[in-house]
Amino acid sequence: MAESVRLARRRGPSGDAAFRAVIAAAFLVAVVLLVAVIGTIWQWSTPLWPAENPLTFFTSSGWSGSVADDGTVTAAFGAWPMIWGTLVTSIIGIAVAAPIGILAAVYLVEFAPRRLSAPLTFLVEITAAIPSVVIGLWALGDLSPRLRDSIEWWIASSIGQIIPWLSENPQQPSDTSVFRAGIVLAIMITPMVVAVGREVIRSVPQSLREGFVGMGATEWETIWKVVLPTARIGLIGAVLLAFGRAIGETIAVRLVIGMNISSVPPTLFQSGASVAAQIAGGVGEASPIEKGALAGLGLALFAMTFILSLFVRVFIRRAVGAPARAS
Amino acid sequence: MSENQVRAAAELFEKTPRDLRRQRVNRWMRRLVAAVTGLAVLPLIGVTVLIVAKGVGSLSLSFLLNGPLGSPPGILNAIQGSLLMTLVATLMSAPIGIAGGVYLNEYASSRVSAIGEYFIDVMLGVPSILAGLFAYLAVVPILGFSGWAATIALSVLMVPVVMRTTQEVMRLVPAGLREASLALGVPMWKTTIFIVCRTAFSGLLTGVVLAISRGLGETAPLLLTSLGSNDQSLNLGAPMNAMTVVIYNYAGSSDPKLVAQAWTTALVLFAIALVLNVGVRFKTVNSRVA
Repeated sequence: MAESVRLARRRGPSGDAAFRAVIAAAFLVAVVLLVAVIGTIWQWSTPLWPAENPLTFFTSSGWSGSVADDGTVTAAFGAWPMIWGTLVTSIIGIAVAAPIGILAAVYLVEFAPRRLSAPLTFLVEITAAIPSVVIGLWALGDLSPRLRDSIEWWIASSIGQIIPWLSENPQQPSDTSVFRAGIVLAIMITPMVVAVGREVIRSVPQSLREGFVGMGATEWETIWKVVLPTARIGLIGAVLLAFGRAIGETIAVRLVIGMNISSVPPTLFQSGASVAAQIAGGVGEASPIEKGALAGLGLALFAMTFILSLFVRVFIRRAVGAPARAS
Repeated sequence: MSENQVRAAAELFEKTPRDLRRQRVNRWMRRLVAAVTGLAVLPLIGVTVLIVAKGVGSLSLSFLLNGPLGSPPGILNAIQGSLLMTLVATLMSAPIGIAGGVYLNEYASSRVSAIGEYFIDVMLGVPSILAGLFAYLAVVPILGFSGWAATIALSVLMVPVVMRTTQEVMRLVPAGLREASLALGVPMWKTTIFIVCRTAFSGLLTGVVLAISRGLGETAPLLLTSLGSNDQSLNLGAPMNAMTVVIYNYAGSSDPKLVAQAWTTALVLFAIALVLNVGVRFKTVNSRVA
C-alpha cells in the first residue's frame, strides 16, 4: 500500500473506526472458524489417548475398541494402514501427474500453436472443475477394470515377477487396489499441475529465452537449460499444491481403493485404505471411542496438509509470488 | 573474396554431426512433449465424453422434475438440496470472505496481512473431509444430521476461496484510485466500498462464483452431515439430498437403472459446473481488473 494512503488513513473520521471494526470482526470469524475446526477435532480425540498411546495409534494396525459398562476403555486402533494408503496413493498420483503435467504445461506455453493452446487450456481448466465424485463414478464403473486389465496386468506380469510388492494373483485380480486409486488421483490432480505450471512457465521472462536462442540453442535446450530451471521453484510449488489435494481427496479414492483397514496390503495391486476415506466411511454409527479414533485420523490428516503448507510457505512462497489458488 | 575465405565461411555455417544430433533431439523432444500433452488431456476428454454419452440416455424433463420416489424417478430433491445448501452457505461465507479479504488488504498492518495470507493458505489446504468431520462432531450432536450442519461444513470450505480471490483482486486496484479519492476528502471506508470494491466488483463476484462451484461439487462433507434423503422438503433442519450424494450412493449400485441415474446426475452437475466456470471466464476476460 502506498505511503500516501497510509498517512491519510491515520486521520480519517470516525466512520472508519466502525467500518474497520466490522471487517476486522469478519476476518476474526474466519480465524475462529479454522480454530474451531481443529479444536473440535482435537477435543473429540481426547477420549482416545488415555487408552491408546499416540505413537502406537499412528504406527499400528487394527480398528476396534469399546467402552465397557464400568467405564474401562479397550482400544486397539491403528491408523498405519490408512496413513500408508494416503501416502502411497498420493505419491503414485504425484509421480505420474508431476512429469506429465509439467511437460503438458511446457507444450501449452512453448510449442502449441495459438489455435490449439487456447482450447486445450480451456479444456484443462474446465476439467479441473469436475467434481471428484464424478471422477469417482467414472473410475468405479469404467476406468478401474480397464486399468486392472491393462497397466496393472502388464506391470504384474513383467517386473511384478521380480518385485513382490508389484505382484498380483493372475487368477484373481483384486476388484480394488491401491495402485488404481493412485492413478485416479493422478488424473484428478494433473489439470491442477498443468494450470499452475502454465502460469509459472509463462512468467519466465521472454528475454531469457531469446538470449539463449540467440546464442544458437535449440528450443528444447532453451526449455531444459533456461525455462525449467528458472521456473523450478514455482513448479515445485505447483506439484506440492497438487500433492496436498491428493492427500485430502476422499470420495474418488474411497470408491476404488476397497477399504481394507485392517492391514497394509502386501502388494500395490490389492485393496488398501486411506485416512480421508476411512473418516468418510467410519462415521455412520460410531461410538464415542470410535469417534475419538476418527478424530485422531482427522488430526493425522490435518498434520499432513499443514506440514505441506508450511513447507510451501517457507521454501516456495518466499521465492515466487503467490501460487494460484487451490479450488 | 578468395576461394579459401569462402570455404572457411561456408564451414562456419555447415552443420557438424553434433549440431545434427542436437536438432534431432529437439525434434524428438517436441514430439514427446506433444504426446505427453495428449496423454494428459486424453482422460479429461474421455471423462467428458463419457459423462455426456452415458448421462444423456436417461436425461429427461421428468428426471429433473420428479423426486426419487416418483415415476419415473428423478432428482428434483437432490437439485433443490444442492442449490439450497450451497446458497445458504454462500450467504454465510461470502460476506465473511469478502470483508475479511478487504480487511487484510486495505486495513491490516503488513505484519497481520502476511500472517493472514498464511492463514488463508492453511484454511484452503484443509481437506473437505475435515470440514465435514468438524460439522459431524460439533454441529450434528446439536442439530442432528441436517442441511444446517452441511451448510456450516461448506462455509468452512468456501470462506477461504472468497477471501483469497478478494485479496488478489483488491491488490490489482491501482493505488492512484485510492489516493485520488482520499485527496478529495472521501473517508477511507467510503473509498474502500465505493471506489476499491466497485472497481474490483467483477473480481469479487468471481471469488463468490468459484466458492459456489466448490460448494456444489463437494461430496464428503455432505455424507457426514446432511446424509441424503428421499424427502422433497426444503427444511434445512432435516437430512437433505444433494446431487453429489446421489452420484456417490448410486455409483456402486448393482441396479443398472440406478447407475444410469448416477451418470445423468453427473451430467447435470457437470453442466452446472461448466456454466459457472465459463461464466467466470467471460466475466474475467471482459473486465479490466481480475
